[in-house]
Amino acid sequence: MERDKSLSGNREYTNGEITVYWKPVACVHASYCYRELIEVFDPSSRPWVDMKGAPTARIIEVVNMCPTEALTWKWNDEEKNTAIDINQTNHIKFRRPELLKETGKNRGEEPVSVKVMIDGPIVIKGSFTLVSKGNTKDIKQGLISICRCGASDQLPFCDGRHRKVGYTD
Amino acid sequence: MEEEEKIKPQAVIEILDDGPLVISGNFILKDLKRETESTPGEVKLCLCGKTSTRPFCDESHNK
Repeated sequence: MERDKSLSGNREYTNGEITVYWKPVACVHASYCYRELIEVFDPSSRPWVDMKGAPTARIIEVVNMCPTEALTWKWNDEEKNTAIDINQTNHIKFRRPELLKETGKNRGEEPVSVKVMIDGPIVIKGSFTLVSKGNTKDIKQGLISICRCGASDQLPFCDGRHRKVGYTD
Repeated sequence: MEEEEKIKPQAVIEILDDGPLVISGNFILKDLKRETESTPGEVKLCLCGKTSTRPFCDESHNK
């Protein structure tokens, strides 16, 4: 399978106060970041970004110098991201608005999807705790299908028998 | 790997023996037949087929 180059290598770094996003495919090597702040942006180190290398205000200042969307940032306190002025050129709001949508909801906390299928099972998708016959199991980004007609040979899971028994809603 | 650690269970799905499916927590319930969508916080869904309030449990399984 061919890798999608536009997504590979994207990273994020945080010091607890802000998150800096790195999108390597957008970098044109203008070199502001490491000339200004080698303590944080050191291309010879791995990871190349050390968020402990400078105070937050200085990191923001230097990220704002990046002429591309390779380096962008946001406050971790989502409230603060709502009032960003235009001088904060590299805030994700201006450079990578697609990230703002993602961070609005905390990733990994999407609601579980529960779908009651027409004349069929209950299909549950997401991250949840499943309790069945005294067993408790955490399921991460999983999918299960629960029998609703009572005719399955695989109870509590659906095995498709609802069609044979003519179960209708 | 980092992503994996961030994922927390958002809801508890409990299948009661000889009873309904009890769901509580952060979830969205969609009923495709009746075209409804809700975020009830907690529901009991019928698993025996005897209910008269589909898809919800009406305790008919006890009868």
